[in-house]
Amino acid sequence: MSYESPIRDVLITGGKTYSDITKEITRPIENKPSKAWWIGFGLSSIVLAIWLFATTYTVVVGIGAWGLNKTVGWAFDITNFVFWVGIGHAGTLISAVLLLFRQKWRMSINRSAEAMTIFAVICAASFIVSHMGRPWVAYWPIPLPNAFGSLWVNFNSPLVWDVFAISTYFSVSLVFWYVGLIPDIATVRDRAVTKARKFWYGFFAMGWNGSTRVWHRYEVISLILAAISTPLVLSVHSIVSMDFATSLVPGWHTTIFPPYFVAGAIFSGFGMVLTLLIVAREVLNYKDYITTEHLDAMCRVVMLTGTLVGLAYITEFFVAAYSGVEYEQYAFINRATGPYWWSYWIMMGCNLLAPQVFWSRWARTTPWFIFIMSIIVNIGMWFERFVIIVTSLHRDFLPSSWTMYAPTIVEFAILIGSFGLFFFFFFLFMKFLPSINMAELKSIVKTKHDLELEKHYTELLNNNHKMPNITHETKGDSVHGH
Amino acid sequence: MDTNKVILGIYEDPDHIYDATKKLVHDGYRVRDVYSPFAIHGIDRVMGIKRSRLTVAAFIFAMTGITLALTLQSYVSFFDWQINIGGKPFLHIPTYIPITFELSILCTAFGMVACFFYVNRLVWGKNADIIDIRVTDDLFVVAVDVIPNKTNIAELSELLKSKGAIEIREKEFED
Repeated sequence: MSYESPIRDVLITGGKTYSDITKEITRPIENKPSKAWWIGFGLSSIVLAIWLFATTYTVVVGIGAWGLNKTVGWAFDITNFVFWVGIGHAGTLISAVLLLFRQKWRMSINRSAEAMTIFAVICAASFIVSHMGRPWVAYWPIPLPNAFGSLWVNFNSPLVWDVFAISTYFSVSLVFWYVGLIPDIATVRDRAVTKARKFWYGFFAMGWNGSTRVWHRYEVISLILAAISTPLVLSVHSIVSMDFATSLVPGWHTTIFPPYFVAGAIFSGFGMVLTLLIVAREVLNYKDYITTEHLDAMCRVVMLTGTLVGLAYITEFFVAAYSGVEYEQYAFINRATGPYWWSYWIMMGCNLLAPQVFWSRWARTTPWFIFIMSIIVNIGMWFERFVIIVTSLHRDFLPSSWTMYAPTIVEFAILIGSFGLFFFFFFLFMKFLPSINMAELKSIVKTKHDLELEKHYTELLNNNHKMPNITHETKGDSVHGH
Repeated sequence: MDTNKVILGIYEDPDHIYDATKKLVHDGYRVRDVYSPFAIHGIDRVMGIKRSRLTVAAFIFAMTGITLALTLQSYVSFFDWQINIGGKPFLHIPTYIPITFELSILCTAFGMVACFFYVNRLVWGKNADIIDIRVTDDLFVVAVDVIPNKTNIAELSELLKSKGAIEIREKEFED
């Protein structure tokens, strides 16, 4: 008999059996959507319509519809792009990095986090295409021979690297997500009662039959996909940061950018995961699957990465002061005290100071509070990109070019609209796909056999007066028979 | 396969089916396959499944990606059409690293998953030859080959039952 003392409480509560998991997680797929779903879906469709309108308007009128000028040539567009790519990073981190670290609490949340990654990268890509001004030539960054209209691309440019990074990231995430979905799609297929459901889920289940040989290979490729996604996710935001870091603009030209951007991406991504999951566990009634322990674990990540990001802000200041370069020093003092001081302090407050509340256990386990905090994190991270981009650009090398930037209503509409795009996809996902990985979750549920053994051993321990302390220490709920 | 007939032992508990499979293999029965709603750790080893060579495939695809990416970039910027951008070198391997890395990942992921689909005969729209509809929900099934004039069905059923099978039946594959 081996003896395990629990480091954390059980991963999912409610004493679920395998069939409970199947029934409860396929419920949204098999039943008519709830009122809450319709309201959410309807609202996001309306916001999506705003996005469609504003983006179309931009394409028709041109970039002149935005508030950009000769000095500030990047503003809301790239801020939104970096914001959305960053959001995506948490999904890969949860499903790949936490898999490599054998963090089993990821199992309740990885499916929806990966879905979030995919939808967030779609939003990000939409900004890249629309900021080009002429989306019909969006294929120009792809290496095509000179005869195709543009010239061969410049492989020394981080903007070209970014094209490869984002498209690889999107397609690999999609593959990872789909492979993970196949067993669960098969579960839905085998429970299907309607013809359409049988056909579509049968089509995408690819004839999955649960054979051990298939499972064996499945485990192998899951591990490799996780292993290659981990450096991929780090590379993507590093490359995004190099879009700035390889330039000469003071405030951008810093070597700290890659790790700082990656930490920020994970921070903002976890913020968004928390926002989504707190709503999802309420709407779909998945409180037994996404417990406060899951929220607690995520809040710890938020606190850690928030502090890392804060450290980077302070390091930037230090390096600017220490370098003795006047332009660099001015760029940072101007950030904190110049005309955009308010955006700098929103960033500092939301990203460095606010997450410190998660030192308290109450803050990490109170859903409504975490929900508010997650919104604050999202706002803070959006402002971080705004600060980096706009405040660095608006003071050009020539004081005669100094200017201010103010967004137009079209830019606001696209920003708000992109949330519609994101949530539109997310609501469809919640309705049509199992939003929790059933197959993985079943592997961590205690079986009847486990429970019998556990009961047996707990009784033995309780009756044995020689070792009363042990039962006390382990809360008596984690004695395994093997 | 010299037989199309199998005996199915249906279990509710992964530990039971693990023990049953171990015993079956030990007693010399030929276990055709075990079907389960999730991966039961260790049962592949008990069944004697060799470690998948998909890892090798992944490595080969990664190398392919690296080669492709380096070839593309040096061909474009050095051999085909040199463009002078700020006097930067035409053939500059360090700046090719990010794209090379990305393309190697892309090739690995797609190549390996394609191989995975191929070796498991997973195809979109394929009808599942599912052994029991409940294996994607909550039951575990072990399929044991019945070899004519060799397998004692009564003994086999007894063994399956002794390990906790909740149901035992015969099935014929149509090959």
